[in-house]
Amino acid sequence: MSLLNSFTRIRLIAGTTFLEAVRQKFFNSLLIISIALVASSTFFQQFDFGTGELKFITDFGFGALFFFGSILSITATTQLFFNEIENRTALTMLAKPVYKLEFLAGKFLGAHLLMLSFSLVITLVLSGILYWREAALLARLGEDVLLDGPLVRYGDVFVFGFLQWIKFGILAAITLFVASFSNTNLYTIIVSFFVLIICQLQYIARDAYSGMEAGLERFLVMGLGLIFPNFQLFNIGDQLVFDVEQALPLTTVLRLAVYGLIYTCAFILLAQVNFRRREI
Amino acid sequence: MNTPAIRIKNLTKDFSVGMRGVKLRAVDDLCLEVGDNEIFGLLGPNGSGKSTTIKIILGLLEASTGTCEIYGKPSKQVDARRSVGFLPEAPYFYRYLTGRELVRYYARMCMVPRAKIDAAVNSVVELVGMTEAADRRVGTYSKGMLQRIGLAQSLVHDPQLVMLDEPTAGVDPLGSAAIADIVRELKRRGKTVLLSSHLLAQIEGLCDRVAILHRGKLVREGRVDDLVEEKDAESLVVEGLSAEGRAAVEATIQAQGGILARIEKPRLSLDAYFLKEVHQRESEHAAQQVKTGSQKS
Ligand SMILES: Nc1ncnc2c1ncn2[C@@H]1O[C@H](COP(=O)(O)OP(=O)(O)OP(=O)(O)O)[C@@H](O)[C@H]1O
Ligand SMILES: [Mg+2]
Repeated sequence: MSLLNSFTRIRLIAGTTFLEAVRQKFFNSLLIISIALVASSTFFQQFDFGTGELKFITDFGFGALFFFGSILSITATTQLFFNEIENRTALTMLAKPVYKLEFLAGKFLGAHLLMLSFSLVITLVLSGILYWREAALLARLGEDVLLDGPLVRYGDVFVFGFLQWIKFGILAAITLFVASFSNTNLYTIIVSFFVLIICQLQYIARDAYSGMEAGLERFLVMGLGLIFPNFQLFNIGDQLVFDVEQALPLTTVLRLAVYGLIYTCAFILLAQVNFRRREI
Repeated sequence: MNTPAIRIKNLTKDFSVGMRGVKLRAVDDLCLEVGDNEIFGLLGPNGSGKSTTIKIILGLLEASTGTCEIYGKPSKQVDARRSVGFLPEAPYFYRYLTGRELVRYYARMCMVPRAKIDAAVNSVVELVGMTEAADRRVGTYSKGMLQRIGLAQSLVHDPQLVMLDEPTAGVDPLGSAAIADIVRELKRRGKTVLLSSHLLAQIEGLCDRVAILHRGKLVREGRVDDLVEEKDAESLVVEGLSAEGRAAVEATIQAQGGILARIEKPRLSLDAYFLKEVHQRESEHAAQQVKTGSQKS
């Protein structure tokens, strides 16, 4: 019963957080910019890439999703958290029978929901554009291009969107963790971006320690590689959508999702440890 | 119930300010008890630790030393806040929600059953006089309106204990009087109210007991009447007395062994005067509206 109540409260906080984000202009303008960017990739059609055009549009769209998604994930989470502290709404909230973990989980889910809608809209727009250009190509080149399989695997576009969303979840949780001990907006955003870069480049550390001899240094580098999730794992856009022979196995997708989930939960729990001691 | 609504024992709160762990003592060895079904006033100058005390009672801040209980439950437990309403000082709420959505949100957070939510929300919104503005975004509210919607939010789940941190800050005298009425009504329904303020005139006629804080220390505590009454004096208010009559009264007082300490003109408090005048205008205005309304139709 109390667990059920707990879920109700988390759901309510998440809902309001999501509503706040959507009613703010920032999210809407970023969404419009990203849609415009994805759509603008079609202007390159005059260069007549042939089927390469589709690949180009896809890369472009995935890039936009990754770039703007990362920005949105960090800034929105920061903003949604600090609004609550600065406007002292957190005070009113926590004066109710609400656990701090429920509060954090609600904030996280709200931001995660926001990223879900963002990822979904971008992937939908991207698939729409791909579909349109594919039809145009088929009309121009005839049906022969279809001989060795379909040009575009649309399911993969969504698989990519889903994996990016999982990654944004880790990023949001990391941001929440940074926010739990920092006092300002700006600091949180900057530190989170640093962490993002580290996570992107983390594979370098992995390469490094595999070449190292056993010892303290190797241990340290390995530890770093564990603390920071490896975001490179999620950059599998190249294997998706077009490469027919090596379709991505479902188990890989699932494994990545679980990997993301573990890091997300871990960072939220870490945030909770900090947040419990925080004087609001 | 015999357990006091709030019991504070030897409460001390230090904030560390500055770099080298310099401590600032906001609350200093405070002991207080607030009985069930009592209206309790926490008074004190700015920075005397009123808000800090309230936040510790609510478990929003952790005490440095000492204990604090709500109806016998330590305030660190989330459970202790089950039946507590709280209005923070200078409240800001989710600006992008409408007043009604806001109150509803808090009602649901407090697990008000679904079937009762609408009725509960409407009745508190009505109670604080915000029905007209309830469907506007909170971001557009004035200071006093924020305070009122904050009060609605703190009452919506029908809590047994209500804590109001300066409920009348920024509210006009009319609104303050309305809030005082709400507080009295709460007491009548058997609730306990703790409020802080430095507007003493309003507190005086409202609270059963008050505590005065100064630099975090308890200076005085007790029933309002006991604190301010001049024990050995009485005053007579007389109308239409002639000069001879007055001389006779004075003579009688002397003959009876009393001493005429001072003669004053009784004055209406500015508060009461203001309320009287405004009420009169309000009712005239309302009558006017009714008249023009009936003329139009
Ligand atoms: N988070 C904090 N960090 C450091 N010092 C604080 C903090 N909160 C309050 N203080 C200090 O504690 C003391 C008591 O503050 P508090 O807000 O309880 O006063 P108050 O009685 O509510 O005053 P007011 O009438 O102005 O609302 C003040 O000196 C204040 O500066
Ligand atoms: Mg205060």
